[in-house]
Amino acid sequence: MEPETKKRRGMESDPDWWDFLPVLSDEMSDEVPVLDAYAAPITDKRQTSRLVKDLSVVHPLADLQHIKRVRARRDEKEPHALEVLVCLVSDVLTRPQRPTLIDLLSSKDFNVKGLGEPFLVRIPARAPLTRPQFERASRHWPTSFHEDKRVTLGLKGQLFTSGQKAKFQEYMTAAVEAARAGREEGMEAVGAAIIDPKSGQILAVGHDLSRDHPLQHAAMVCIDLVAWGQGGGVYRYEKHPACRYTASDPQLSSGASEEGVQPYICTGYELYITREPCVMCAMALVHSRISRVFYGTSSPDGALGTKYKIHCQKGLNHHFQVYQGVMRQTCEALTRPR
Amino acid sequence: MRSDAAENNGIDGSFLQPSDTEVQRWMSCAFNMAKEALESGEVPVGCLLVYNNMVLGKGRNEVNETKNATRHAEMVALDQVLEWCSDRELDPEEVCRRCVLYVTVEPCITCAAALRLMNIPLVVYGCKNERFGGCGSVLDISAADLPHTGTSFTCIPGHRADEAVDMLKTFYKQENPNVLKPKVRKDSLGPAGGSVTTQRESCEKSTSD
Repeated sequence: MEPETKKRRGMESDPDWWDFLPVLSDEMSDEVPVLDAYAAPITDKRQTSRLVKDLSVVHPLADLQHIKRVRARRDEKEPHALEVLVCLVSDVLTRPQRPTLIDLLSSKDFNVKGLGEPFLVRIPARAPLTRPQFERASRHWPTSFHEDKRVTLGLKGQLFTSGQKAKFQEYMTAAVEAARAGREEGMEAVGAAIIDPKSGQILAVGHDLSRDHPLQHAAMVCIDLVAWGQGGGVYRYEKHPACRYTASDPQLSSGASEEGVQPYICTGYELYITREPCVMCAMALVHSRISRVFYGTSSPDGALGTKYKIHCQKGLNHHFQVYQGVMRQTCEALTRPR
Repeated sequence: MRSDAAENNGIDGSFLQPSDTEVQRWMSCAFNMAKEALESGEVPVGCLLVYNNMVLGKGRNEVNETKNATRHAEMVALDQVLEWCSDRELDPEEVCRRCVLYVTVEPCITCAAALRLMNIPLVVYGCKNERFGGCGSVLDISAADLPHTGTSFTCIPGHRADEAVDMLKTFYKQENPNVLKPKVRKDSLGPAGGSVTTQRESCEKSTSD
């Protein structure tokens, strides 16, 4: 083993050294889309509340409840401190080059007192879901934001304590060791482990077996090993000593003893896997009701972030959380040619 | 790629356009299997993998008995093809490239990806799978650009679709005794096809309506 590898591994043995991030839905990770709108300066501050009230009658902006109607001027050089949103560009039927207030407020009765000449702005089309989205969307126009603190912490890599990270590392290390054992057998160097977070027990450890069976990817192997632990199971693993399972201990699993419920497939369990699962495996995890997946490195046809986000796919009846980057370098090194 | 392989093997590719008689014949077998599954309390899906007019794989859903949520009819049938190949020392990829899958319900996303990984070129199916379908209903894995996930495949949908839907409806009106469903459908009738026995206290609640 060359010293460089040793050094790398040495660094990753410190859980504070690697960072991992949640894989969020497109809705949460993409930029919030914007709409073109007209705003106008409020030239007489005393008219503000009346203008807001009157404008909300003429242009209620019903689908844009997140939008704040009034904002502070963006440019200190502007003579008026406040600006109000008049309407969406799409609300105006005729669109002259530079529309006047008359063009925008088709109602003749509208009292334009205190309102200056309109100008074009962009406003967020929907409420932001994450803090980074909120910060970027607010540059266009102020919007309300209901912050999910867990998401904010997750995006900063601060959701988990060092103690929790040490646990994740222990589980991923089991997956890495299985991947190495699989590689020795001539399999793809991918390993996985399924754990019960309530008891901390490792219930199944497995590795890729696709040289013998094209569908036995590491995650599929682990799902079947969990089934063995529950008195089911399909395939035999005697020839692969690194693929092993333990039945869930009801004494240790608080969730099970609470309700007297038998474990059902992978409900409530977590998967640790060295490489991002493919479409087959990702959907198998949906069917198995996994609760969280942690993976090391992305894969080109990956279905938990790269090509698809099956874990938050609309229309499916079960969703789960995904984190990527756990012991990334160690996991990447597995598939590198030796 | 597929046409190259067919040429190399001197196969005319006619298996890719099965005749109406063939479709009716194999789908009829698949429907019988789905009925069997319904009667034993499994999801009513039946499928066959046909190669050169031979049935190499026959499957029905085995999720409950194996406690493995991936044991869908297609996966069971694919395993039988692999076994058939291994017994005869044939290359599964070569065999699968000339197989047609006949299945009563659109394959789910897992199965669609598995069919790609196994290089099955054609799937004939009954009704759409609105919950999990991987051939267009939820995602279109069958035709997607996934260069590292086997080969894409063609679908012939809609054969006896209403009948397949009716069987699924009958099944979902019953309670699956292995799933702990918090929500009980108010419109659910009693079990229609075969009795479903519950083994655990926690399930009785959900079936007591």
